[in-house]
Amino acid sequence: MIRQVSVFMQNQEGRLAKVLRTLADAKVNIRSLTIAEAEDFGLLRLILQDSDAGVAALKQAGIMANETQMLAVEVPDEPGGMASIVEVLGGADISISYAYSFLPKNTDNAIIILKVPDADYDKAIELFSGDERTNLLARDELLTR
Amino acid sequence: MKYWNETFETMPQDQLRELQLVRLKQTVERVYANVPFYRKKFQEMNVGPESIQSLDDIRRLPFTEKDDLRNNYPYGLLAEPLSQIARVHVSSGTTGKPVCDGYTHNDLSMWAECVARGLAGIGADAHSVIHDAYGYGLFTGGLGIHGGAERMGASIIPMSSGNTQRQIMLMQDFKATVLTCTPSYAEYLGETMRDEGVDTSALPLKAGVFGAEPWSENMRKNIEALLNIKAYDIYGMCEICGPGVAIECPEQDGLHFWEDFFYFEIIDPETGEVLPDGETGELVITTLAKEGMPLIRYRTRDLTCIIPEPCKCGRTHRRIARLKGRTDDMMVIRGVNVFPSQIEHALLETGYVEPQYQLVVTREGSRDQLEIKVELKEDFNLDSINALEELKAKIEHEVHSIIGIKSKITLVEPKSLERFEGKAKRVKDLRKI
Repeated sequence: MIRQVSVFMQNQEGRLAKVLRTLADAKVNIRSLTIAEAEDFGLLRLILQDSDAGVAALKQAGIMANETQMLAVEVPDEPGGMASIVEVLGGADISISYAYSFLPKNTDNAIIILKVPDADYDKAIELFSGDERTNLLARDELLTR
Repeated sequence: MKYWNETFETMPQDQLRELQLVRLKQTVERVYANVPFYRKKFQEMNVGPESIQSLDDIRRLPFTEKDDLRNNYPYGLLAEPLSQIARVHVSSGTTGKPVCDGYTHNDLSMWAECVARGLAGIGADAHSVIHDAYGYGLFTGGLGIHGGAERMGASIIPMSSGNTQRQIMLMQDFKATVLTCTPSYAEYLGETMRDEGVDTSALPLKAGVFGAEPWSENMRKNIEALLNIKAYDIYGMCEICGPGVAIECPEQDGLHFWEDFFYFEIIDPETGEVLPDGETGELVITTLAKEGMPLIRYRTRDLTCIIPEPCKCGRTHRRIARLKGRTDDMMVIRGVNVFPSQIEHALLETGYVEPQYQLVVTREGSRDQLEIKVELKEDFNLDSINALEELKAKIEHEVHSIIGIKSKITLVEPKSLERFEGKAKRVKDLRKI
């Protein structure tokens, strides 16, 4: 399971800096980051090299954080790569709640982090496992990419 | 017309005291005989109608609290059978069990007399056109002013609240001479007229009677300038009889309370001890002529003081200073009474949040704004923005359904709001009024 750490941030100066500084001080590397914003708050979505250490550090600092199960799918970095991911799920009527890209260090492939509804999670794993165009990554695989 | 009822309004103080004593005895006899709640309470304290030989003996009687009214809702404190009750009013913005009052025909008549005296005092008469923009309905404002204006024979525009454009049009068309509403709405009306280029100096409007929420001298000056009128303060509450319990005269220096109908005391809210005239404390009211729901030593939670000096206007009835605040945490937002406990109740109803919150009240222009900062639960799923927006909408809806006013909900991190060791201070009132 790929674990995303979600952090609640009030729309206040210095909130993001505090989160990032906390992770840096705990020596937890951020492998991917995206921010979803609403009118007066934001959600910071993180893939951390060490989720346990990251969550512990954030909680220690009084920052609200919890985890969400995600999928990581590797595809060739070429036109149609992302389309193949969407097609795998679309064929089974599974919607993508949101997605963002992961920054790999050791491959030229593209890696997409996906959120599907929890009810469709197992089904999505099954679909990607049986698909040749895409490569579903396990947690250890992702973090060494 | 200067007085509505000169005999009573200028009755010498010693005669007023005699009348008060007679009426106090009658009231105590009435509640002792007809209201089990009072009889039980009096018996527990070993007092009864015979205990009242002088006005000072009132101090032997127990206080009545707002909770007593709630606990005896709806009809428990009535001293008359329902067949004699002509109308009920219910106070604004309360959850679960509200505070209500039942009035007989005589009570409504007394109330109308109070309001008519006040209106006459500020220069209104049968020729006046009174634009009554207090809310009509369970709230006492609209119908209270209405009753007094009708008693006086003035022309009433029973406008009720809301729909500002229509208000402005009708005020002009019907040539209103007196405006009655909450002070913040008066200010808003004035600002809107100014912005729309209405020349208020050309209007026949002369006076306004504003109450149901606290307002300052600065706000008075502002309203007077905007509307080109004299603005007067009026005091009252549903439990006693709505607006008109006390009202300013043209001197604009304190509110005369009608001593033939009400007995006022100022107490130390901590000890319950009666304070001398001139000292600020909690206002305690005993009704002297009410039939439906007489109240003995009712603790209003309003802070003020009694001004004993005779007023230049000629009325002998003493005055209270304009209200100086509350002894509890009640807020008045857009004329609606709001207790933090109601909001806490609404939050718990949603089930998702910690009962940790802070209320921030501000005034933007002439509109009160309520912001509710709510701490998220530690384990609230942060996966989706939608879930958080839905939570906000749900809280907003729940709060609105309980207090009747819209609020802005701000979600904050767990444990981010200030914690208090003693009594929590959940209200930040930033209004400059």
